[in-house]
Amino acid sequence: MTEQAEWLHTQIETLASQQAQFTDRAFWLALDKLVAEQDRRNDQLQGEVDGRTWRPDRW
Amino acid sequence: MKTLVLVSHPQLADSTSQQFLKASLPKQDVTWEHLESQESFDVAREQDQLRQADRIILQFPLYWYAAPAGLKQWEDDVLTRTFVYGDHRFPLADKELGIVVTTGMPEKAFQRGGAEGLTLDAALSPLAAVAARAHMRWLPTFPIYQFGYLEEPEKLQLVVDYQRYLTQPQPDSLEQRQAWFTHKLPAMIDQLPPEQQATGRLIQAEFEQQKDDIEALADTLAMIKEQEDD
Repeated sequence: MTEQAEWLHTQIETLASQQAQFTDRAFWLALDKLVAEQDRRNDQLQGEVDGRTWRPDRW
Repeated sequence: MKTLVLVSHPQLADSTSQQFLKASLPKQDVTWEHLESQESFDVAREQDQLRQADRIILQFPLYWYAAPAGLKQWEDDVLTRTFVYGDHRFPLADKELGIVVTTGMPEKAFQRGGAEGLTLDAALSPLAAVAARAHMRWLPTFPIYQFGYLEEPEKLQLVVDYQRYLTQPQPDSLEQRQAWFTHKLPAMIDQLPPEQQATGRLIQAEFEQQKDDIEALADTLAMIKEQEDD
């Protein structure tokens, strides 16, 4: 996880813990999960871009 | 999107799962109706509700591999032949039909060789056949296995998964999930206490930035793939 993602995760977790309503807490925690998914997808896409750009046969 | 939730349960007040789902309902664009609380169905009204909805959800506990009798009664009374297909107008065409089904047995029971020996899709095939006849679009089922055994983190997740099942456009992709949260965030931030709103907005900005980054990367990748094809 990048530093930025770590920071965002902490912000969301703190905000979630401050919500009195169960359904409100659920919303922010689900967003936290989605942000983790975004982070993973970002990594994978970045990896694929790097992999496809690295073409020694075209040097 | 307008969603109609039809709940069939003979003892709704005693059902913790149904009460939980009721408390989890999205605040807007959802109509909720309990079938067994009506002595007889006002067929014209029920059919009108179906016409108005974009997504129709049938929600019930699985009793002997089927919905409770109340739902069958509703089908027999409301889904008349003329209404569904008889006059070739198909008023339910292209509407989505989703099933929220609770089970007393765990997920692994619902497979060949499992304790129940059949999949939920197989058990629900009569409803899928009705959907096909009405030219509706069948959504992947939303099963809730053994609600009573869920721990708090799982229940928290269930709240939002259920809300998304009711209101998020299909298919359930990362793109659609992001769009659903983008749509919900402003109202959720507005209802935060004033001292938390700045944090809420920061989170929103960062979330949107991540979304844009992913989109940009996907575009770059598409371009690279296109060049490789040349």
